[in-house]
Order: sequence, then C-alpha cells, then structure tokens
Amino acid sequence: MSPKPLLRLTVNGDALELLVSPQQTLLDVIRDQVGLMGTKEGCTTGSCGVCTINNARGEAILSCLTPALEWDGQSITTIEGLERLGDLDAIQKSFVHYHAVQCGFCTPGVIMSAKAVLNRHPRPTDEQINDGMAGVICRCTGHIKVKEAIREAHAFAADPAAKP
Amino acid sequence: MLLPAHDYVKPRTLEEGLGVLSRSGAAVRLLGGGTDVTFNMRNRLMQPAVLLSIRELPELLGVEEWPDGSLRIGAACRLADLAAHQAVNSRHPALAAAFKAVASSHVRNMATLGGNLNLDTRCWYANQTQEWRAAKGGCLKTGVDACHVVASVKTCVAINNADTPPALIALDATITLASAGGRRTLRLADYYRADGVTHTVRRTDEVLTEVIVPPTPDRLVFIKDTARLGIDFAYGTIAARRAADGRTRLVLGSLGPAPVVLRRAAVIATQRGLADTHIEEAAEAAREDLGVVSNLYTPAAYKRDLARELVRRALTALRDMP
Ligand SMILES: Cc1cc2nc3c(=O)[nH]c(=O)nc-3n(C[C@H](O)[C@H](O)[C@H](O)COP(=O)(O)OP(=O)(O)OC[C@H]3O[C@@H](n4cnc5c(N)ncnc54)[C@H](O)[C@@H]3O)c2cc1C
Repeated sequence: MSPKPLLRLTVNGDALELLVSPQQTLLDVIRDQVGLMGTKEGCTTGSCGVCTINNARGEAILSCLTPALEWDGQSITTIEGLERLGDLDAIQKSFVHYHAVQCGFCTPGVIMSAKAVLNRHPRPTDEQINDGMAGVICRCTGHIKVKEAIREAHAFAADPAAKP
Repeated sequence: MLLPAHDYVKPRTLEEGLGVLSRSGAAVRLLGGGTDVTFNMRNRLMQPAVLLSIRELPELLGVEEWPDGSLRIGAACRLADLAAHQAVNSRHPALAAAFKAVASSHVRNMATLGGNLNLDTRCWYANQTQEWRAAKGGCLKTGVDACHVVASVKTCVAINNADTPPALIALDATITLASAGGRRTLRLADYYRADGVTHTVRRTDEVLTEVIVPPTPDRLVFIKDTARLGIDFAYGTIAARRAADGRTRLVLGSLGPAPVVLRRAAVIATQRGLADTHIEEAAEAAREDLGVVSNLYTPAAYKRDLARELVRRALTALRDMP
C-alpha cells in the first residue's frame, strides 16, 4: 500500500494538514484526527443525518458518506465552528430559546442542517424548512420545536434589521 | 467502520482518468458523489483496488443549452444544482421533479447525475451488512450461484432503484460513454440490462460523461411513490410522455432490475385516447404485463397493482395538464 496521502482541509477556519488513509471517511477524520466530537456517527447509511456538516458553500452534506480524500483543498464547517468567542450563532440561540433539544445526540446534525437552510433562506418558508430537514431525524424531541426554532432564528441574528 | 483498503486516485483531466481505466478498469470503481459507493464499500459490497474520483473533471461538469434546443448535462453535475437549474426547470419541469425526488437535500448536495444513472441495483438480501449476508451465504451478486430472494432464478433480480432514468428515457435522452479508445453515443433506453449483477452495458474502461436531452413540445409527467417523500427510495416511479397527436410513452422505474418501457399500455393510450375507461384499460394492461418478482420493500402482487396505479395516475395527469 502507498504511503499515507496528505489531506489539506480547512476546518472552521483553521487550515490543517493531515496524513490520512483512503479508508477514512470525512467523518472519521473530523472525529478521530481533528478531534472534534460534535459531529456524530449515527446510521452510517445516509438516512439519519447526524453526521451533517456544511461545505464551503454553506450547504448540508453527510460526512459519513464521503471519503476524506475527496475533500483535499476544501473548507468545511462543523457544529464547533458556529460559535464565535463564546457567542452562539443565531440558530443555536434559537434552539436554546425554543428548547428544540432533548437528548442532544442528533442536535449537531440537526443544527448544521438548519444552518444550511438559513444560509439560503434567512426567513425560510415551511416548505423550505421541510426540504432542508427531511434528511435528518430526531428520535426523541420530535420535529415541531425544531421547525419553530428555525422559523424564528432570524430574531436572534446579531443585527436582525440587516437581514432580508 | 473503515472503508476497505484501496488506492484513491484523482486525475486532473478526463484523458488521465481514461488512461487509468484502460490499464486496470476492472479493479477501478468510479467515484461520483460517493453516496452509494461509500455506503456499499462500508458494507463490503464493493471492494475496489482503486477509487477514481471524477466529480471535478471539467469535461463532466456544466449544463449547456445547444442551438437546436437540446440540453447537454455533464455527468458530474450535482442533483441539487440540476433540480434548481433554470433551463432544466423551464424546458422539462417533470425532469427537474425527478432530480428533486432523489433522496434528501443532504444527499442531493453530494450526488451526481452520473452516479444516479449508474446506481448499483439494490435488493433486500444484498444491501445488508457483511455479517448479515454471511449468515445466509453469498448470492449471484457476490459471485455465488444462489439467490435468497427467488430460489430458482439464474439471473440476479436486484432492483434498479434510481429515480432519474425513467424521465430521461421517456425524453429520448442519449448518453456519451468515453474510453481511451474513443467515444460512443447510446440511447439511455439501450443502456440498461435486466440483470442485477451487470445492469448496464458500460464497459469497465468507460466513463459516462454527459447526457443529451433533445427538445420536445410533448407533455411529460413524473410520479414517485414511496413511504416518505424527502428521503426514501421509491417503491415505484413512472415517467409518462404524450405528444399532441396522442403518441404516448410510459416508463416505469424501481419495479425490476431495469426500467420498464410499457408497450401495450402505451399503445392503448395512443390509439384509444385518455377517456376514463381507456385509462383503466391501459392501467390494467400494465398490471398484467409487468413480469416482476418480490424484492425490496414490496411483494410481486403489490408491484403489479402499483404499476396499474402509477399508469392510472400518470395518464390522468397528462390528460388534465393545462
Ligand atoms: C439515505 C439515502 C437515500 C437515497 N434515496 C434515493 C432515492 O430516493 N432515489 C435514488 O435514485 N437514489 C437514492 N439514493 C442513492 C444515491 O444517493 C443516488 O442514487 C445518487 O444519485 C448516487 O449518485 P452519486 O454521485 O453519489 O453516486 P456514486 O456513489 O458516486 O456512484 C454510484 C455508482 O455509479 C458509478 N458512477 C458514478 N459516476 C459515474 C459515471 N460518470 N460514469 C459511470 N459510472 C459512474 C459508480 O462507480 C457507482 O457504481 C439514496 C441514498 C441514500 C444514502
């Protein structure tokens, strides 16, 4: 087998160089090598969405369904990248306010999916929320409060007036 | 669980990639969005020596509108981009609906059209973990002369579960297959084989580079039936097309190892028209003609009834379209 290839990956703004194996998925690298444990491993079949992160375009992607080396030269955001110097992102504040959390296991994937919805639609319609959240499942708190938190997240933006 | 050991190769140009394929095609698995490949590798259904990453090859990207009205869609275009693409939506809204019907937005943000058109066939036995499969022994798909779905069959009955082929077949789309030796053009309708093991006529040294969709004034509808729209694979799909002179084409998906072009039902709709009684007749013909077996989610009798229902709904929708 060839020597371990180099993966240049920017994670939450930090440019990293990692020696990885082709056998690792992006999720494996995020958790086992970068050491960020917020992103969870759930079904590993693409059905549950708890491994969701955002790509450089702010879109939701499943880190368990993609080989890590596919991400060479790319930039990603994980749940840990939303908070800035202790200040939570609007979507996180909204989740706290509406208590859209129960056990918390799926929450990072749910929030990164919600973040992707808000990146495209700062004031999302129910249809846009449903479309963006269909790929992520919560087995305990349900989806009603989650949808409420996403719909109202704009109110927690640093400068709500500046948002469309 | 780690993926099986392999070499990862990312060519910078198509020619470089075709070179790898011509040298060792049988040992190579093409990697599009990876949403099927990663999953199947984790389950050890695929254990390629080489993964060849093609999703950033410039020759496989982009949507072009040709002067004759055709759309040229690169095989590595993401389904999310195609579902939202202005030209796709304005020319063929039902095709855009088929792109949008695949899995979830998460998956569509990764998945490519080429990956969907080449999606491996699926089966309730084969698409399990390695340990689960081992308890029953191998099957036709893993090179063992046995099938755990229908004991007597000699040809694999795993299902072509991809959502986009029926609409593209109904639209008369053609594909380009590139190899180091040259290019060939094929009707998508002629690409599939009713064999779950070797379900396309692609040679191991070839890459599907593009899909060409010719213009048409005809009506087209696409319907997907499944448990939860928004993430689940289809129980069954249908694409139905009708010309102003009544010529009708019906293509079913997810009900067998290859998409099914319904002949008798289409002739009935073409020759007799779309009054309720004729729609019933066509739908019943579809039910009778579908030679399906039980596999994936639903038994054969359900599949036949579903074929009837899909034809009924599709023809009614074609008739009632503004
Ligand atoms: C939770 C979940 C739900 C899903 N639901 C659906 C669904 O509802 N409908 C549906 O259709 N699919 C569904 N899928 C399957 C899959 O995600 C899609 O079919 C997707 O379009 C596959 O594209 P990809 O680019 O990710 O393929 P990949 O995984 O990259 O490749 C799939 C196959 O195609 C081959 N291939 C890729 N590109 C080319 C090319 N250019 N030329 C030749 N061969 C190529 C690969 O070698 C591989 O064999 C689902 C998957 C998941 C995980």
